[in-house]
Amino acid sequence: MTDLARLQEWMQAVISHPGEIDEALRAAPGLQAAEVIRPSSTLTPAERLAIYQGMYPLRMEEALRSDYPGLAHLVGDAAFTALVRAYVAAWPSRSYTLNRLGDHLPEFLRGGGGGLRRPDLLADLAMLERAFSQVFDAEETPSLTEAEIAAVLPEAWADAVLEPIAALRLLELRYPVGLWLDAIKAQGEEHRHPRLARKDSRLVVYRRRYAVYREELDKSAHALLADLVAGRPLGEAVEAALGRPRAPAPERLTGWFRGWAGAGLFRAVRFP
Amino acid sequence: MANRWGLPDLGIGIGLRTAHFTHILSEWPQVDWFEVLSENFMDTGGRPLHVLDQVALRYPVALHGVSLGIGNTAPLDREYLGKLKALATRTRAAWVSDHLCWTGFAGRNTHDLLPMPLDEPALRHVTERVRVVSDFLERPLVLENPSSYLEFATSSMPEWEFLARLAEDADCGLLLDVNNVYVSSVNHGFDAAAYVDAMPADRVVQYHLAGHTNRGSHLLDTHSDHARPEVWELYARALRRTGLAATLYEWDEDIPEFDVVRAEAQKAKAARDGVAAGERA
Repeated sequence: MTDLARLQEWMQAVISHPGEIDEALRAAPGLQAAEVIRPSSTLTPAERLAIYQGMYPLRMEEALRSDYPGLAHLVGDAAFTALVRAYVAAWPSRSYTLNRLGDHLPEFLRGGGGGLRRPDLLADLAMLERAFSQVFDAEETPSLTEAEIAAVLPEAWADAVLEPIAALRLLELRYPVGLWLDAIKAQGEEHRHPRLARKDSRLVVYRRRYAVYREELDKSAHALLADLVAGRPLGEAVEAALGRPRAPAPERLTGWFRGWAGAGLFRAVRFP
Repeated sequence: MANRWGLPDLGIGIGLRTAHFTHILSEWPQVDWFEVLSENFMDTGGRPLHVLDQVALRYPVALHGVSLGIGNTAPLDREYLGKLKALATRTRAAWVSDHLCWTGFAGRNTHDLLPMPLDEPALRHVTERVRVVSDFLERPLVLENPSSYLEFATSSMPEWEFLARLAEDADCGLLLDVNNVYVSSVNHGFDAAAYVDAMPADRVVQYHLAGHTNRGSHLLDTHSDHARPEVWELYARALRRTGLAATLYEWDEDIPEFDVVRAEAQKAKAARDGVAAGERA
């Protein structure tokens, strides 16, 4: 290892340490601050390092607060700050963009990371907010047009495989966190902790004309759309939907399909 | 004096920021050019890129990055470079800039602009990497002097000498951030005027201006305010040496309305007019 690499390894360990600067320096072996860093007329070497160490968690928190505003609101400022510190220690950024920093946060929460109460609820909320971010940044792919749909012969639809747009995510959650976010937005920042009892929630999050939408789905609709997104031919997916317990009427399936196509959820139709 | 590559003086520009998207798309304001934070646009296919495409149709654009990690010891990230090059092509960027710094070790990214030791081994290390990046991008890389809050004991030359030698050895351009020069001069106790006087004038492609925050024991480069008079004086001094060069006002914290940022940027006009008058004479 070169001297430069040794210096960078040491300094990264110091500035990304979650404790006080003295603790960080004790925890980072190999080099001594006083031997590596010059003092200024006003600051010791440790104090100069502490400037960088102090900015590191602020930058991480700013990025995660931007991607997970609902989660930050639900747990409160102090708990969110502590959560960020614990999460970043476990999942430090390895990307050139901070947009990827929170990629593991839902799973971290579900596994009890951060030591917060109601981890499944918090993980569900984080999953929804992660889906918003992913859909916001996904590649722009054109949707099927009405003319392209009309060009498919009626008898051909059973074998049709529908390709979803890139900006689409399907979610199955244990808590109705989407409705909770609506309530927070409607009632303002001061409103805290509306009731969040367990109730299964199925959603599709998608983007159209650069705006992100969320739609609640019932169990049958979610299963059908999940089959289509997974590449199951339309005929098979419909047959499976009609075979499930409490199957919807066929005309409801038609209505769902028209609605999804009209919302631009599919980019292409192909016949394998 | 023009830079050695003939890269254009784009005039007075503003950073393209999300907070101003709606205003820009509805007003198409009178601005000479926009600087774009590369990483905010190279990993998205959504609205930010859609906005950038429209901006790049109407204004000159230059790319400015924070994650190249030219001083890192890990191998250069080819995926990152590929996306950067694609974005530069897509926007017809006038040039691509980043910072003289390191950002992380062993694949991690602190997302900070961390200072380099200013010694011979570090200079050789960065020189080699700049050459590789410039070859990959098929254009000269432009590097900015960062603000810094510490100095390494092994440093054997002032930052201005390191930058000047780097620019010569690696054949790269320089983005002179005069606010950073001022911030670092106070934090380390060097003469800011000597710094700008030592810049190789024909390699300065662009200027940055910004505000900083006085924390008592040190200055912090916050991009959160109007530039201090000392920074404007330093800018005018530098400009007299280099001649007119593209100038950008950075405002990244507590971002005010677009017209406030533009008005601050337009203060650069006085210094530019003075230099232009001198050149005409």
